[in-house]
Amino acid sequence: MNSHMQEKRGRRLGITYSAPMGLWLTFFFLVPLCIIILYSFLKKGLYGGVEWEFTLTAYRQMLNPNFMRVFLRTLWVAALSTVITITLALPCGYAMARSRHQVMWLALVIIPFWTNSLIRIYAWIAILSSEGFVNEALKALGVIGESLPLIYNQGAVITVLIYMYIPFAILPLFTTIDKFDFQLLEAARDLGASKPESIFKVLIPNIRSGIITAVIFTFIPIFGAYTVPLLVGGKDSYMIGNIIVDQVTKTRNWPLASAFSLVITVVSTIGVIWMMTSTASERARLKAPAQVVDANGGIS
Amino acid sequence: MSTSPKVKSAAVAAKLKKQPKKMRLEPSRLVEAPKGTPGPYKLPKNQMFQDHRKFGFSNIMLVLVIAFLFMPLFVVVTYSFNASRGMRWTGFSLEWYYKLFFDSKELWRAFANSFVIAITSSIVATFLGSLSAIGIKWYKFKSRSYIQVVSFLPMVLPEVIIGISMLIFFTAVKIPLGMFSIFVAHTTFNLPFVFLLVSARLEEFDFSVIEAARDLGATERQTLMKVIVPSIMPGVMSGLLMAITMSLEDFVITFFVSGPGSTTLPLYVYSMIRYGVSPVINALSLVLILGIMLLALGFRRFLKTIAASS
Amino acid sequence: MGKRLKGFDVTVKDVSRAYGNFKALDDVSIEIRKGEFFSLLGPSGCGKTTLLRIIAGFDSPDNGVVLLDGKDILPLPPDKRQVNTVFQSYALFPHLSVYENVAFPLRLRKVPAGKLDAKVRDYLHLVQLDNHMDKKPSMLSGGQKQRVAIARALINEPSVLLLDEPLSALDAKLRQNLLVELDHLHDQIGITFIYVTHDQSEALSVSDRIAVMNQGKVLQIGTPYEIYESPATDFVARFIGETNLFPAVVKQCDPYEDYYMTTLDIPALGTEIKVTDYDNLAVGQHVSFTVRPEKLKITGHQPTRVGKDINLFRGIVEEPIYSGFQSKYYVSLENGTVIKVIQQHANYMDEGPDIDWKDQVFVSWSAEDGYIVEVVDS
Repeated sequence: MNSHMQEKRGRRLGITYSAPMGLWLTFFFLVPLCIIILYSFLKKGLYGGVEWEFTLTAYRQMLNPNFMRVFLRTLWVAALSTVITITLALPCGYAMARSRHQVMWLALVIIPFWTNSLIRIYAWIAILSSEGFVNEALKALGVIGESLPLIYNQGAVITVLIYMYIPFAILPLFTTIDKFDFQLLEAARDLGASKPESIFKVLIPNIRSGIITAVIFTFIPIFGAYTVPLLVGGKDSYMIGNIIVDQVTKTRNWPLASAFSLVITVVSTIGVIWMMTSTASERARLKAPAQVVDANGGIS
Repeated sequence: MSTSPKVKSAAVAAKLKKQPKKMRLEPSRLVEAPKGTPGPYKLPKNQMFQDHRKFGFSNIMLVLVIAFLFMPLFVVVTYSFNASRGMRWTGFSLEWYYKLFFDSKELWRAFANSFVIAITSSIVATFLGSLSAIGIKWYKFKSRSYIQVVSFLPMVLPEVIIGISMLIFFTAVKIPLGMFSIFVAHTTFNLPFVFLLVSARLEEFDFSVIEAARDLGATERQTLMKVIVPSIMPGVMSGLLMAITMSLEDFVITFFVSGPGSTTLPLYVYSMIRYGVSPVINALSLVLILGIMLLALGFRRFLKTIAASS
Repeated sequence: MGKRLKGFDVTVKDVSRAYGNFKALDDVSIEIRKGEFFSLLGPSGCGKTTLLRIIAGFDSPDNGVVLLDGKDILPLPPDKRQVNTVFQSYALFPHLSVYENVAFPLRLRKVPAGKLDAKVRDYLHLVQLDNHMDKKPSMLSGGQKQRVAIARALINEPSVLLLDEPLSALDAKLRQNLLVELDHLHDQIGITFIYVTHDQSEALSVSDRIAVMNQGKVLQIGTPYEIYESPATDFVARFIGETNLFPAVVKQCDPYEDYYMTTLDIPALGTEIKVTDYDNLAVGQHVSFTVRPEKLKITGHQPTRVGKDINLFRGIVEEPIYSGFQSKYYVSLENGTVIKVIQQHANYMDEGPDIDWKDQVFVSWSAEDGYIVEVVDS
């Protein structure tokens, strides 16, 4: 078999193997996304659904100051939660990567992470509500007489969001730091760097891809959060996710829901592209093939 | 050295010829060599580099964060043994466990639904995802980058978006909402994870092994079944495990694409939370946590692979 | 050697370090002189790297002291010691260019830009990397990476440079070149070099002195010549170069000129041999006897001159290995013991290359060329 034929055959086999998944994702992921794009330019139907009439009404509705306020709040909550999450997750990932008991720590991070998310949110309700664990405990100790308003506010939403998404940050950070050559930290110390200097000038720049992945995997889901603000937030902690669902289930304004979804999709896609390009350039930098050097290693 | 060492030089060679070569060594320097050479000793990773202290900042942070992650679970599990409904401890009781196991028909029906969907969707996703990972890694063809992009986006897009787009899609193409639509949705969000895990495994695969297998007389099919598949098995298993847990856990997407009679466990829990909390949830929590722990223990080999995909 | 001796002396005293049950260092004492090229030589796991890491500050001993220029440095963290390290795996910062790698220590000290640039260029020139300074480490060959690591370690002007098997990742030919280059560098800057290696030929060729280590202990400290010619223990004799080593018993010991002519009974050779030694050894004492293969003569016919101080054996060539400038023979003596002989082919007409497999040969050596390694107690 000549190499041309082999190549052709390889291409055919590659397509045969990959086609089922490619088609599945095209039909059930990409087509629905395209429908959303389409619907966002259509007119709202009376009982949900759409009427086939081009209009920009949905986008005009989006500019409603109420929605803008929610949009900005969502941005702010997502940014703040992401920063806190990453700040907490970085030392965790580092400690896990250097530990001799990596699998044990991984299990300890993954077990709560795999536990049903609603159960975990419910647990927070049980802890924070006015007859919840914290309030009852403080009352029993005589610290307070009246229940503290710990739940149904912004603070509760941010706390629970951090709780829900911190494993998403720890895991990629751990994976990246685990591949990091810790001897570089020794080299930095040897060359005169203090311990914090060695972390900030050597470790952080070299685990950039892990940090970016962690940011993407916390920021985007939090940006589209729905359940947490619904169950532990108050009226003033509504986020875009809640608006979208309301548009679908209550107001039945599908074009507006689609327009919002499109915005989130675009934001997410930009984030993903940013992540992929920066990871790719980093990989290229680290894996660039060594140049061919003369046998003497360039010694004259 | 008490005796000056000999110096090699042509001029004194003749003289040296007559002189014995022993140089006396300071006795303190003379240590008898123990018999047998030692094998190479590798330092454990945490002792190997820098002054990484047991009670350093990062280790304390890790312990605190793990405590943060487990604290709510502990609270819920503790109160599952409480005699009263509230958060005030009134005594030990197994009432809620009794209720959970003998008086929660609907819950168990939802559990069964979840289970059926988790198993079917993760098996389909694992099969299709692994096959595609092999195809993309092994062969070069034009639409590779398309598949790579279309398989990455579902992992990061907020669940609300995927849920809504699927709801709109199913409505538009008139697929009734129910078990089947949930199965399709779960397979869709599981596929990318399996694909990623198996691809990562293939990344470490030494492709000269394929040539070796062909050289030794294996056909293409034999190479696939006897060389490639066994070596990507850890990736496939991790993918399957990940898919099962994600499917069992999913609420948001299922919320949109479910119909009458297709309530899954998370949906049932949601309704319990929204419409009157019953301490049965506490009891259920312990059962689920124990199940997850068993799963994590049984598959601890794959935890590191799974971490790499999240 | 005409060096300017600028470095510090290093004193290691009674240093021990254990990891669990494993004794990496067992009461080690070494005095390294100012400006010396000092090698720590031993097999992997012998403790040489642990000792280097203790001097650098990455590890601390369970007990003992380490003095740099007479001052105790153990309480100091690595960044406060006037010691820099060249790592085995180079440990170059992958996110920084060659230039920035070398500039790293100066940037930490906030050296002004102009001074920094001049100095970085000086050091890059010193290691002949002027043309590669904008490259990332991943674009360099192994030899180039190693030279970046050396320039980076030297730019802080340390008093002592620690080198942890710096050449082990390079191929043989490049290793030779870089070794010579390191030696020149040492002559040029005159600071103390402490060089860790498991390769005895590297250590022999560049060191002023060598400490041979095994299982956490220092077995011998001396010049390369002393270590090769007068190994202190069986281990040193076997580890440095090649040798024939046999247990022996002293049969007779007579004064002979200004030393002693000793007769040894060597069961492995099935006979007695003669060897000269400084010490008057007691009859019946157990010792180890060694003779280097290159000190043996091999001939196809019985040598004509056999003096009383010549040991002569008859044997059969089991394995001749010709390698151009020399040949090595495994000769099976009459009682079955195999002995190694190395014959240099200094002249074209020399006997040797024509000795073949299964040839009958004569192996001989002078009593002065044998050596009594160590006195075995009991």
